[in-house]
Amino acid sequence: MAKVGVYVCHCGTNIAGVIDVSALRDFAETLPDVVIARKDLFMCSDSGQEMVKKDVIDGLVDRVVVAACTPRTHEPIFRAAIEKAGLNKYLFEMANIRDQGSWVHGHDHDGATEKAKKIVASAVGKARNLEPLEDKFVPVTDAALVIGAGIGGISAALELAKMGHKTYLVEKRPSIGGTMAQLDKTFPTNDCSACILTPMMVEAYNHPNIETLTYSEVDDVSGYIGNFTVKIRQKQTYVDWSRCTGCGDCASKCPAKVSDEFNMGLSDRRAAYIMFPQAVPKKAVVDIEHCLNCADRKIGTLPKINEKTGRPILAPCERACQAEAINRSVAYNPEGAVREVEVGSIVVATGYQVMDKGWFKEMAPDSPNVITALQLERIISATGPTEGKLLRPSDKEKPHTITFVSCMGSRDENFHTYCSRFCCMYMIKQARLIKEKYPDIAINMHFIDVRSAGKGYDEYYTGARKMGINFFKGKVGGLEILPDDRLRVLAYDMESAVNVEYESDLVVLATAVELPQDATTLAQKLGLQFCGANFFRELHPKLGPVETATEGLFLAGCCQGPKDIPDTVSQAKGAAAAAAVPLAQGKVRIEPIISEVHAEVCSGCGICIPLCPYHAISMSTYADRPRAQIEMSACKGCGVCTSACPSGAIVLHGYDESQIFAQIEALTA
Amino acid sequence: MEKIGLYLGCNIPLKAPDIEQSFRKVFPALGIEPVDLQGASCCPSWGTAPSFDLNTWCAISSRNIVIAEDQGVDIMTGCNSCFGILSEAKHFLEDTARRKSVNEQLKAIGREFKGTSDIYHISHVLHRKVGVQKIREKLKYSLDGLKIAVQPGCHSLWPTEVFKITEDNPYQPTILRELCEATGATVPHYSRLEGCCGMGGLRSTDMEKSLKLFRDKLISMKEEADADMIVTTCSSCYLQFDMSQPLLKERGLIDFDPIPTFYYTQVLALAMGFDPSQVAAISQIDRRAIIGEMQSEKRLIKEVA
Amino acid sequence: MLITQDKINEAISTIIEHGGRGILNCVQCGACSAICPGVRAGFPLLCRNLIRHLLNGQLEEIIEDSSSWACQACCRCTEVCPQGVRPQEVVFAFRRYQANQLAFSTSSVTSQMNLFETGHAVYVDPKEARRMVGLPEKTPTSAFDERAKQEIQTLINNSPMGQLGLF
Repeated sequence: MAKVGVYVCHCGTNIAGVIDVSALRDFAETLPDVVIARKDLFMCSDSGQEMVKKDVIDGLVDRVVVAACTPRTHEPIFRAAIEKAGLNKYLFEMANIRDQGSWVHGHDHDGATEKAKKIVASAVGKARNLEPLEDKFVPVTDAALVIGAGIGGISAALELAKMGHKTYLVEKRPSIGGTMAQLDKTFPTNDCSACILTPMMVEAYNHPNIETLTYSEVDDVSGYIGNFTVKIRQKQTYVDWSRCTGCGDCASKCPAKVSDEFNMGLSDRRAAYIMFPQAVPKKAVVDIEHCLNCADRKIGTLPKINEKTGRPILAPCERACQAEAINRSVAYNPEGAVREVEVGSIVVATGYQVMDKGWFKEMAPDSPNVITALQLERIISATGPTEGKLLRPSDKEKPHTITFVSCMGSRDENFHTYCSRFCCMYMIKQARLIKEKYPDIAINMHFIDVRSAGKGYDEYYTGARKMGINFFKGKVGGLEILPDDRLRVLAYDMESAVNVEYESDLVVLATAVELPQDATTLAQKLGLQFCGANFFRELHPKLGPVETATEGLFLAGCCQGPKDIPDTVSQAKGAAAAAAVPLAQGKVRIEPIISEVHAEVCSGCGICIPLCPYHAISMSTYADRPRAQIEMSACKGCGVCTSACPSGAIVLHGYDESQIFAQIEALTA
Repeated sequence: MEKIGLYLGCNIPLKAPDIEQSFRKVFPALGIEPVDLQGASCCPSWGTAPSFDLNTWCAISSRNIVIAEDQGVDIMTGCNSCFGILSEAKHFLEDTARRKSVNEQLKAIGREFKGTSDIYHISHVLHRKVGVQKIREKLKYSLDGLKIAVQPGCHSLWPTEVFKITEDNPYQPTILRELCEATGATVPHYSRLEGCCGMGGLRSTDMEKSLKLFRDKLISMKEEADADMIVTTCSSCYLQFDMSQPLLKERGLIDFDPIPTFYYTQVLALAMGFDPSQVAAISQIDRRAIIGEMQSEKRLIKEVA
Repeated sequence: MLITQDKINEAISTIIEHGGRGILNCVQCGACSAICPGVRAGFPLLCRNLIRHLLNGQLEEIIEDSSSWACQACCRCTEVCPQGVRPQEVVFAFRRYQANQLAFSTSSVTSQMNLFETGHAVYVDPKEARRMVGLPEKTPTSAFDERAKQEIQTLINNSPMGQLGLF
């Protein structure tokens, strides 16, 4: 017969402030098989743990129930304690009387105490039926995958590579660098963005442990921590990169015009193009969707022959390429090439996009002189459409008045309720850069409030005031389009409680940071979850900021939530450290709370196979008959197969029938 | 012919019956049969029941809607305020608790709100149900070369969530512009297009403040659009433009002559050849010259053989 | 200004009772006031600033202010509000509070009387004008419909408006 010990935690006043812990202890003592019931101010403290350990060592108890908080944070502590005392650590059960009791029933002390009794009785019922289980281990592939090569992905990849782990760095665009490569300068130091980013891009690209796969996307991910199989599709570039020297001659000759994504649509690029001057790798691609197929010649067909000269008539891009990297006669596979790699852990650093101005109907989105802040970043950047000269888009004239509008789509229940966190600072940065270069331009900045929490940030903001930049507290309500494409700003000065109306040449919208559309597809492939704000969900908002619910899968940068460059780099390095843990250990532990098929009972109906969300079940032969078999390392112990099995052939260890029925019995008594 | 309940409100039938007459001329010619809502009252306007008690507002509004429901027709109204009030009330009545208590009030007069009739503005019916193509086909005179400054008015623009039909961008409305362009006229953009004219509670609370707001709007129309006439689909805006321009002129606050102002269906009726003494007869601003111009012989559209 | 929680609670519950259900959503961003015609015309206590005063519990202090009566109910504030406050509803809730305390201008009494007597807030004898434009002298509205007038009077008499002693 089991000897169950029940330990009731006060959690200071967290539990004891609502639940009558003495009454609960007294009640626990009356439950079947309970030999000891004790209580303590903090069960997780050393003295609390010692109390449990002593009872185990003294041979008084062989099953332990702690009635306290959530197993999510505290189960490992108590499991470790009883293991140290010589008891199998799975002979432990936690009764969560805090999250499910005192915290949610603070208004009803008696009710909460009665509910706690039920929870404890249920835990005891289960504990009486617990069986010892053993951890299992599987070996790990010593390699990592980093998805997304912005500043977050590059930082994570470099960190992993420096620790000695082979790292695949996958980027969907032709060059690495991400959004940071589009920026002119960075706050609060006004470092040139390219000057600090380019060396890191080069270092990552040249690092012997990093294999950079650009113009590539993750097609499929299978497996589990330590043993992921990843299919990566390198999109078709239609340029032989082994020959391409990055000279850009093809781009200068290509006649096709396409809106330039890197310049946020403010200029055109060619169909044959290099993403930007400092691109890494500096290689050209032909955007076949926008290729004009010069002289009506589709890719993969031979050129016409000039009847007079007898020489082939080559396309401009082909003719321009001295390195012979462009050969339009080659019948390239439009699907590109799929590469399969094995990795032990994965860091997701896919970044963000800013909302399009078209969402904000009150802000005259059709006016060319209403732009997003990222567009302004391109306008003031030396590699941008105006080569760094500040010109308004409508007529390429220098603006005399510039307006900055904060919180477009952020802190807004119609779009995103969260604060995008770094807009205030980059707007101030942009204003300062403009004011430094053109002191005669009037700059009016409109904020709900200025958020400048960060090292050196508030000084940067107050400095901007001293430079003569005008700050208004109050959100802009609308814009009206004047003749000559100027804009009337309908604003408000909260401090003097009057409306503000003036004419502006250029209006810059700080549009919200959000996940790009294709992030949803990636999330499905990886099994990532979304948080309420629709970013990728981390394991724990405070204590698991780089981990996810899937072991071996980690997050870095803005895909987890808006953050600036220093925060992204910090998180990326954290994610790299966490991702390196299984690689360094060489093996990963598999919790034994997983399902197992009793082959002799299984009828081989196969109902369980499509139900398994982890593709862990397959058919194998047992005694000459097909029987379901569960891959131990892929099973997450969700229990779907167990409950669906018509023969009752699948047992979920740690939640077997006797244990669950004992719980139900206690709860319904 | 599609039947729609013609909800008149107060200003149009009592102060500007020529606008009412323009509805009655234009719609049947365009294939819509306006049905009278016998016994309909004030919507009730913002300054009355809505300023005292929400449920009383909803009760009086829903009584008006019920009159249409009982005849199995939707509602169209030419007054922006009425459109706003009735749409808001209908929106409030989507709340089941409110609907229940309002229906309690209606019980005393033997009526019940069911919510089966939709609320349209007259401009919506013309734009979405009739369509600009059909309007073009029914013209007798082309207004080609005339410049119109349009005044859509606030209450058909916001709040979009309570309206059956909304502008693609309520801050840059296009419905009235397209309706005017269908007559052949030019409709230049002006910056204060979506701005308030200053009529309504603002005018009755402080005439001077109202005129200041109105003047800004008028100047924008004059300087940026250089309009031959102002055309609106709001009867309140119509009254403000017709009453307050002469006032500004009299006080020397504008240096140009008041711009003739029409309700849209008046312009349409004139372009369709209806008698101005019936459809555009009442105004403070002298409109004879522009009406003569609109219906001049040279503008006759020749029948296409 | 003396702030007390009792006054704040009273102001907020008064506004919510009168239909300003979104008042506590307000984060004082000021977008409503940036586009409010009344604020632009110079009325001090509309939209953001009215809500600020109410959130400070200043209900009695501003009861005589006429700003709320200048609200056009254009509802542009409701459209631009990023927090779902529906400021126009708060302004009208305050107006209803004022009206129920009989703090309104005498000019607005006329339209209440008109509504009660004819079913029209604005009433002028239309017969001559209607005849002139070729319409029947009598409108098909409540003005010339005894049953309709009775219905309107019943609705008003049975409502809180009936308690104001205006009719």
